[in-house]
Amino acid sequence: MLLLLASVPVFAQLTAEQKQLNLASFEAVWSAVHDKHWEEKPAGLDWQVIHEEYRPQVEAAASTEAARAVMRDMLGRLQQTHFAIFPAAVYQVLDPSAAGDGWPGFEAHVLNGRVIVTESLNPDSVKLGWEVLQANGADLPPLVAKLQADPAIHELQLERAVAARLSGPIAAVRPMVFADAAGARVTRDVKLIPPRGNFAGFGNLPAQPVFFESRMLGNTGYIRFNMFLDLVHVMTEFGDAVQKCAHCDGIVIDLRGNPGGIGGMAMGMAGWLVNQQGQRLGTMYMRGATLNFAINPRAEAYGGPVALLVDGSSASTSEIFAGGLKDLGRARIFGTRTAAAALPSVITRLPNGDGFQYAVANYISEGGRALEGNGVVPDVEVKLTREALLAGHDSVLDAALDWIRRQKESK
Amino acid sequence: MTSLQRITLLASFAGALASPLASAQDLPKAETILDRYVEVTGGKAAYQKHTHQKMTGTLLVPDVGMTGNLTRYAATPDKEYSILQLGPLGKAESGFNNGVAWEKNLITGPRVKNGDEKALAEREARFNAQVDWRKTYPKVETTGSEAVNGEECYKILATPAAGKPETQFYSKKSGLLVKTIATAVSPMGEIPVEVEVSDYKNFDGVLIATRSKSKMGPQHLEITITDISFDQAVPADLFELPSEIKALVDKAAK
Repeated sequence: MLLLLASVPVFAQLTAEQKQLNLASFEAVWSAVHDKHWEEKPAGLDWQVIHEEYRPQVEAAASTEAARAVMRDMLGRLQQTHFAIFPAAVYQVLDPSAAGDGWPGFEAHVLNGRVIVTESLNPDSVKLGWEVLQANGADLPPLVAKLQADPAIHELQLERAVAARLSGPIAAVRPMVFADAAGARVTRDVKLIPPRGNFAGFGNLPAQPVFFESRMLGNTGYIRFNMFLDLVHVMTEFGDAVQKCAHCDGIVIDLRGNPGGIGGMAMGMAGWLVNQQGQRLGTMYMRGATLNFAINPRAEAYGGPVALLVDGSSASTSEIFAGGLKDLGRARIFGTRTAAAALPSVITRLPNGDGFQYAVANYISEGGRALEGNGVVPDVEVKLTREALLAGHDSVLDAALDWIRRQKESK
Repeated sequence: MTSLQRITLLASFAGALASPLASAQDLPKAETILDRYVEVTGGKAAYQKHTHQKMTGTLLVPDVGMTGNLTRYAATPDKEYSILQLGPLGKAESGFNNGVAWEKNLITGPRVKNGDEKALAEREARFNAQVDWRKTYPKVETTGSEAVNGEECYKILATPAAGKPETQFYSKKSGLLVKTIATAVSPMGEIPVEVEVSDYKNFDGVLIATRSKSKMGPQHLEITITDISFDQAVPADLFELPSEIKALVDKAAK
């Protein structure tokens, strides 16, 4: 009998205050969709009727989990991505805000479920291709497994959660454990350094480090920036880099890991790569306004081959940029499918502590396809692999350079 | 349209008519309402004694918490140059001179405006357009009356020679313009713009609204004019087309 009782899920009885917080959360979720969804009848639904249907269910919910399930079910009726509720506990795991600005001097990304070093400023200490097993006492493989098991959490959030574990206060020393090429455990005390670039915000968005780099790989220009922010610097440097590359064999723009930012910057950058008037990257549909992402060609626009590198963490403005240039036939895309998170979406905390994400616009790329939920599918699917990194290669960049080389040879 | 409303439209990056409360016969003619506006804001002579205007102000985009500064220069007959410094978006310039409407900012780079967008810029650049409203709007019509924030207003449909019509709301009591519904036109599309103006102040004999609250699609914008001066010396080349714009004009002419 006791065993039977123990097998029944037990939820703590909600206090009156918790119940009220769940109801307030429901109202916040319902109102956000009612007021901000780009369609007055969201997904063709009578949202008032939805309110009458679901509010009693939240009132009757015996636990926060049950209330959350009702709200998720309500959002599910939209059958649209970027409407999600994250349990408070998971939200805390994803929230990098408490981590600090310090950076370990290497970048690591999740490849095949493992956290792999993809760039290192100090390769004598931390080598490309090493797996990060532990950071500051936290085991990363279980964290990755837990987050990957939740279908509500996409790759971009997973990468942010990992990055947060590798960050901390500047000058702090973090013990980290790696697996080297042979699989042996290697321990390093990693001193966190100031992040690359300048801190830049945008309105209410907190300031974040934004870096821009451009260099030559043979006679091919290589451009990378981590966010579409710090408009004054990034737009200026992008324009300068393109103009310096007027006689290059091609230009590679690396958008891997770039989560987006100011949408208008995609139009502005495209203006440096498109010669023809009257082109656009796509169209954004919002409540009360439809915006064309129109391109104004620069007099000095580059006309040679352009390769864009993307991955599952290339989101939002990165996807608008890559998807539009692909649809226009102006760039060839290399890497893996993008995050499918092209819509401007907002993440807020609900009164009950859960996280709530909702989209406020729909975006259709110039080719007529919604990027939201679909992402940009590369022309050439190439995965970054641990093996290639251990051998000192970036398989995605190599594929792009090879294509540019062949373009030159075919002339 | 007031200077403040013009600058609001300049700042934009990017109705159904309510049932009239009275029949058309009971309503004053649009011409009477527009002439009254000129009178209550200072009269034709007060407007026409000036040939140059400089306006400075601040700008707020409350939805994203962004602030900025703006400066607008205007001169007879239709010269205009504006600088908008909007926080992280950097400096944006626009102007109209010798029949060329243009803009330049870090996103689009230099650009010459055409079509309805040019027509709007030209209309906005006309110095003392309020006085010469007959030239600006060949067709005006009183379409009803409607309350704006509790203030009873006459509603006028003003159709320009080129470009989109505007709906303007004038206070029955004061004769002042309180609201305009227009369309901001750019390559990004046509965006409905609602501008409410208030806080009229006297600047050298002319009453000018110093606050505006605008709604452009889903985005809100608030402008506060901090100073207006008339007929002060400006650099001789202030309204000249920037070199990049000249190059675009020359290229298009070839």
